[in-house]
Amino acid sequence: MASSNNVQERVVKVVCNVLSVDAEMVTPDSNFVFDLGAESIQSVQLVAAFEYEFDIEMDNEKALTVQTVGDAVEFISQYLD
Amino acid sequence: MAMIKAQSKTDSPAASWDPLDSIFCPESIAILGVTKTPGTVPHDIFENILTGEYTGVVYPIAPGKRSVSAVRAYRYVSDVEDDVDLAVIVFPASVVDKALEQCGQKGVRGVIIISAGFREVGQAGAKLEQRVTDICRHYDMSLIGPNCLGVINTDPAVNLNASFARKMPAAGRIAFLSQSGALCTAVLDYARGKGIGFSKFVSFGNKAGVTEIDLLDYLHRDEQTDVILLYLEELRDGRGLIEAAGRITRGDNPKPILVIKSGRTLQGASAAASHTGSLAGEDRICDAVFKEAGVIRAGSIEELFNSAILLAYQPLSAGDRLAIVTNAGGPGVMATDAATNVGLTMARFSEQTTKALAASLPATANISNPVDVIGDARSDRYQSALKSVLADENVDEVLVILTPQSMTDIDDIARTICDVHRRVAKPIVCSFMGASDVASGINILQAERIPHYVLPEWACQAMADAQRVRQWRSRPKAILELLPVDKAAAADIINDLPDGYLREDQALAVLEAYGFPVPAYRLCRDADEAVAFSETIEGSTVLRVVSPDIVHKFDVHGVALDLGDSQAVRAAHERMMADIAQAEPDANVLGVIVRGMIPNGREVILGAKRDVAFGPTVMFGLGGLFVETFKDVTFALAPITAATAGRMVREVKAFHLLEGARGTPPADIENVEQYLVRLGQLVADFDRIAELDVNPLIVASAGAGSAVADVRIRLG
Repeated sequence: MASSNNVQERVVKVVCNVLSVDAEMVTPDSNFVFDLGAESIQSVQLVAAFEYEFDIEMDNEKALTVQTVGDAVEFISQYLD
Repeated sequence: MAMIKAQSKTDSPAASWDPLDSIFCPESIAILGVTKTPGTVPHDIFENILTGEYTGVVYPIAPGKRSVSAVRAYRYVSDVEDDVDLAVIVFPASVVDKALEQCGQKGVRGVIIISAGFREVGQAGAKLEQRVTDICRHYDMSLIGPNCLGVINTDPAVNLNASFARKMPAAGRIAFLSQSGALCTAVLDYARGKGIGFSKFVSFGNKAGVTEIDLLDYLHRDEQTDVILLYLEELRDGRGLIEAAGRITRGDNPKPILVIKSGRTLQGASAAASHTGSLAGEDRICDAVFKEAGVIRAGSIEELFNSAILLAYQPLSAGDRLAIVTNAGGPGVMATDAATNVGLTMARFSEQTTKALAASLPATANISNPVDVIGDARSDRYQSALKSVLADENVDEVLVILTPQSMTDIDDIARTICDVHRRVAKPIVCSFMGASDVASGINILQAERIPHYVLPEWACQAMADAQRVRQWRSRPKAILELLPVDKAAAADIINDLPDGYLREDQALAVLEAYGFPVPAYRLCRDADEAVAFSETIEGSTVLRVVSPDIVHKFDVHGVALDLGDSQAVRAAHERMMADIAQAEPDANVLGVIVRGMIPNGREVILGAKRDVAFGPTVMFGLGGLFVETFKDVTFALAPITAATAGRMVREVKAFHLLEGARGTPPADIENVEQYLVRLGQLVADFDRIAELDVNPLIVASAGAGSAVADVRIRLG
């Protein structure tokens, strides 16, 4: 089982890669759109990148409703458990 | 910066800063949610502001981006060091509330929310919209939108294109307000093709904050705007709109308002039980009340702009006398027909004009109105004809028609018209019929702001609309006078009753309290009582069943007419009770109304309905069983003045019957007008009255009054 810290680090890494933002901008409360500037196409890219990073297959419809980095960590963790 | 008051918000405390100046004349703008992807709304809006040569400062708010289009970007609006007057929000709906909170804390004064995903998508969206409204209210921010195209202000002192329209329109004196964003882009393209410019252009979308009424009032004060156009789909405060229109369309600073109101369906009308209810669809009421408030209602975009350019480009004519100058007989006759059909008067030339025309035109020319300068006319003939008719005191406005013959010097004629136009204060409109041959001539006219119409019929329609504006402005403002009524007596009846139909005796008592001519009647419980009361009546008797369970009396044989004696009354009573027992066995029959037979007269309907958007309205028309068939009715907002009642009565076709058609004496029209005023007072006093029909009111000859033959009132 992956530790939540480890998941968070990997989520932040993916977010920084996909959205081209600095890691210091990304906190658990960061809203993908409002705080990190994700455009709609990037939201889809994020979901795909998380699946690749964690080797999981997520419910895309639900995944796209996730708004913050912290919620993404929680959402991805469900699949890792 | 040419703001409404021509003052900056930073002027002295006495300076008046209009809250909507923050939307139309901001000195700084933040675009929240800008992206770098061309072809997307968040990108194109920012680009439009940049390339539109906006005179203020613009700040892109784009988290995670250093710059957008070489302009330094900010993560949050709160990071901007300077004040921000206007925020244009293009973030997705899910984070708009967060953006708004920051705007409020930053001290932003105006907000345009372009984003969709609010009330228009259902309940969840409506909840989000409510939150947005609450935040704006909390921070006292003026809000346009959400779900809109944006705002354009062509004032060169501002040059603001805060929209995702493809191009900035030309500057002009016409303002356009639209509930539909998509229509805006089509209108902008249409107007560009016609050389029409705008002062302000506003797509107000879901109108969660600023409404069309706020915008109308703002444009009334706006020095850049002469004519206001409004496209409306949904009326939430019809009465407020009409009151605003009344303020704007006349008085010290009158500006015409032209409206397209879509959704011309009789929503819910089919379910209404009363005549008035079934006739009083929102569209019919709109038609009538817009007219009564001086608003011109257009049926199409073409019609809207046809009238708008005349009102914006030309002075209002002093009267409705039209002269036509044409080089083509057929179109001249067509134009004459069209002018007459829309209510314009063909001018009768003075002797001097006729002589001048005869002297300057060939013998074959027609020197009466329409003036036919003949197909081979060149600019000199147009010039002399135009000068002559425009100098005539009997001519208020001129329509110039041209068809392109081989010898027609189209551009010279256009220039001649422009030259004449500069020297007179009377409106001139043109119809250069055709397309490619006349195109350059049309351009010359449009550059001079001389309204041009493809068809002379369109020109006539526009001139008729301008006449309505002129007549409306000159109409004396009527004063509402309250008539003496017994409101307390009506309240005693209405206030104690549940929603639903009043019994006939109750409805009659309400009318009596408001002074209606109700014939003497009695509610009789049985045949003996009915016979006894009928013996006190002069002439024949009428029986009408009274039951809270029976609304449509005729359907169950619940009405007996013209009963000559006691025996007939008793027999009719027995028959009626038997028929009702069979047709409505469970009906609670309280008795019958017994009254005298009303002598024949002309039957009219006086109706009322509480409209969702407009509140209490009154209706007048031809009465009887065929009200819905002929639909010869008109409406007004209650309460009404005596002048409005007079206009309503004269507006329906049946007025000719009341006036006295084919040898019949005139009916008591004044009497009808008085009861319309009383009806307006009644429904304005009691907002529980949802529908009311006095149908028919039987009107006797002039001076002989009228009588209520039937009434139906529904509370709800």
